[in-house]
Amino acid sequence: MKNLKNFGGSFSRRRLLAGANALSVSLLSSGLFPRLARSGEPIKIGFLAPLTGEVAAWGKPGLDGCLIWAEWVNALGGVKLGNERHNIEFVAYDNEYDPGKARTGAAKLIREDGVQFIMMLGGDTWPGVQPVAERSGMLVSTLLPSDLTPDTTTLIAPAEVHPIYNVTGVEWMAETFPNLKSAVICAQDDALGLPSLATYLAAFEAEGIELQQDPLLFDPATTDFAPIVTKMLSSNPDIVSLDTCYSDYVHPICEQLFQQGYEGKVISCTADFYEQIIEKTSKEFMEGFIFQFPDFDDPALNDPRVNFKDPNDFFREYNRRYPGEWGAVSWEYASIMDLWKEAAEKAGSAEPEKVLAAMKSGGKGAHAFGEANWWGREFFGIDNALVGNWPVVVIEDGKARVKAYKSIPDWYDRHGELLIRHMEALGQMYYQRG
Amino acid sequence: MHELLLQTFLNATYAASYIALVAVGLVLIFGVMGVINFAHGELYMLGAYGVVAVYVGAQQSFLLAVAVGLMFVGLVGLLMERALFRPLRDNPLSGLVASIGLLLILQALAAIFFGVRMEHIPPVTQEVLRFSDGVSLPLQRLFVIVAAIVLLTGLWMFLKRTRFGWALRASAEDREAAQLQGISVTRIAQLAMVIGAGLAGVAGALTAPLVRVYPYMGHSVIVTVFIVIIVGGVGSLEGAVIAAIAYAFVHTFVTTFFDGVVADIVGLLLMLMVLVVRPTGLFGARDRA
Repeated sequence: MKNLKNFGGSFSRRRLLAGANALSVSLLSSGLFPRLARSGEPIKIGFLAPLTGEVAAWGKPGLDGCLIWAEWVNALGGVKLGNERHNIEFVAYDNEYDPGKARTGAAKLIREDGVQFIMMLGGDTWPGVQPVAERSGMLVSTLLPSDLTPDTTTLIAPAEVHPIYNVTGVEWMAETFPNLKSAVICAQDDALGLPSLATYLAAFEAEGIELQQDPLLFDPATTDFAPIVTKMLSSNPDIVSLDTCYSDYVHPICEQLFQQGYEGKVISCTADFYEQIIEKTSKEFMEGFIFQFPDFDDPALNDPRVNFKDPNDFFREYNRRYPGEWGAVSWEYASIMDLWKEAAEKAGSAEPEKVLAAMKSGGKGAHAFGEANWWGREFFGIDNALVGNWPVVVIEDGKARVKAYKSIPDWYDRHGELLIRHMEALGQMYYQRG
Repeated sequence: MHELLLQTFLNATYAASYIALVAVGLVLIFGVMGVINFAHGELYMLGAYGVVAVYVGAQQSFLLAVAVGLMFVGLVGLLMERALFRPLRDNPLSGLVASIGLLLILQALAAIFFGVRMEHIPPVTQEVLRFSDGVSLPLQRLFVIVAAIVLLTGLWMFLKRTRFGWALRASAEDREAAQLQGISVTRIAQLAMVIGAGLAGVAGALTAPLVRVYPYMGHSVIVTVFIVIIVGGVGSLEGAVIAAIAYAFVHTFVTTFFDGVVADIVGLLLMLMVLVVRPTGLFGARDRA
C-alpha cells in the first residue's frame, strides 16, 4: 500500500513525458526501428536466405557474390551518403528456407545488427518476414516477385521477375525453331513450380505450341525421375520444358531424358552447374539447351545497355574464389546492391524509406540487363518489380551463350491476358494466394 | 502403349530393387532388436557418400566404392548397436528417440564434411540396353536390380540354411526362448545391425550415381520404406520384399499414367487400406524374421 501511495504520489505529467521519452530512446536503441550508421561507420546489409538445405543453391552463391561486390565497392571508398563515405558490411543469416527461421533472422538482423536493408530469396520464407518488415518499415528485396501484393509496400523485386521472364526463352525458341510445335512440361508441386508452370503454359499458347499432355507435377521429395520422363516421352514431343525445377531435379531429369533416348529440344528456367549435366549426358545431347541465366564471362554482357559492372571480371573472380559454384543467383543479389547503392547515394541516406523513394523515382531503374520500369500494378497489385529485358541463353559446344535480349513488357503487352488467365487457373494471382 | 507399359515395368523393377534392400534391412533390425531405427535413411545416405568419397574423391573403382560403402555402413551399424541400442535395449521407445537424435547428427556430419549441395557423381557407365524404340534400361539400373536379387537371395539362404541364420530368426521370434537355448542375444543383435545397416549402405552406394546425393536424402527413402514395412507387416522379411515390389509398381505406374503427387496419395491409401483390412500388415503376425 505504501509503495502504491509512493508511486501515485510521485507520478506527474513531467515524469510521464520523461518516461515516454526514455521509452522512445530505448525502443530506438533496442533496434525496433532501423539504426542509422554514424559517420565512418559501415552500413550493414542483411542477407537472409537459405545457406544450407535443399534450396541453398539459390542463397549461398548469392552471398558469395555479395562479398566480392562489397570488397570491390569498399576498395573504391564505399557508399557516399552526402559528404560521408561508408563501407558496406553484410550480415548473413541462414533461414534454411524456413518461414519461422526467416522471421527470427529478420528480427535479429533489424534489432541486433541494425541493418539498413535486407535481401532475401523470398518464396516460402517471405510470410515469416512480412510482419517484421511491416512493423519496422524495413526495405526488403526478394528474387521472387510472386511475393508481391498491394500490402507489401516495402518489398521490392528488383533483380528478376521470376517466372515471367521465362516467356522470353519460349518466344526466342518459337522464332528460331518455328517447326517445333508440341511440348510437354513437368514441375515440382510448390510455390516456385506452379507460377512458372502457368507462365510456360501462357508462353506456349502465345506461340501456338500445343501441350501434348497435362503438365506432370511431382512431389519435391521425388528421387527417381525415370517414370516422369517415361510419361513425358510417351507422347513424342518436340519440346520438353523443365519449368523452374531446382537444379537438384534438372540434373537427374536431363540424365533420364538422355538415357531414354530423347533427341528433341529442352527448355528450362535454369541450368545451374550445366557442365555436370554435360558430363552425365553428352555435349551433343545438351547442344541447344535453352535457359535464362548467363555465365558472366559471356561477351554479350559487355553490351553498353547492361548495367552490371565488370561482369567478365566478376565472373573470373567468382570462379577463382569459388570454383565450380557459379549459379543462377551468383550475380543477382550483387546486382540488387548496385541498385541500392545508386539509390542510397541519390537519397544521401541509407534510411529504408528514403532509399526506396529514390530507387523508384521516375518509375525507371537501372536493371542488370538494361533500363527497366517499376511495374506490376496489374499483375502483383503493386509497382514494385523492376522489369525490362531478359537474356535468352543457349548451350553451344558445351558453353552457355546469350543469344538474345528479349523484352518482357513487350511480350506482356501482347499476351498479358493469357498469362493472367493461366495464373488464375492455377490460383497463383496475388489476390488468390493465401 | 506396349512400349510405355514395358518401360514402366522396367522403371518399377529398379525402384522395387533398392526399396526392398533398404526395407529388408530395417525389418531385420526391428525383428531382432525391437527398435524402429529412424536413422535407417541416413545409413542409406552414408552408403551414397561412401561412393562420393571413394569413387569421386579417391578416384577408385565403383565396385570398390560400393564394397567400402557396405562395410563402412555395416560398421556404423555395429557402433549404433553398441553405443545406442544395447544400453537402451529394455526400452524400445528410448531406442527410437535415440535413433532420431542420431539421424540429425549424421545429417549434420554429412553437411560438415561434404557440404549441403547435391554431389556430382560422374556416371559409372553410359551404356543403355535398348530393347526397342522407347524401351531401354541403363546398365547402371541393371546393376542395382541384379545386386538386389543377389543380396536378398544370399540373405534368404543365410537365414534359412545357416546356424547363425537360424539363431537370428529364433531371436526375432522370441528373444527369451532363444536365450534359453544358449543363443547370445547380444551377438545376434550385432549381426542384425551389421546386415541391416549394410543393406541400407549398399543400396545407397549402388544408387548414388542415379539419385540426388545430399545430406538429407535419407528422408524421402525412409518415408517410402516405412510405408513398405507397414504394408508388408512390421518384422516380416518376406512381407517387406513383396510390399516393396507392390509399392514400387503401384507408385511407378500411377506416376506414369497420372502424376507423381497422385502416386504419393495412392501409396498412402494403399497403406491405410492394408491397415484397415489387416492391421498387422500382409505378413505381420504369422511370418516374422
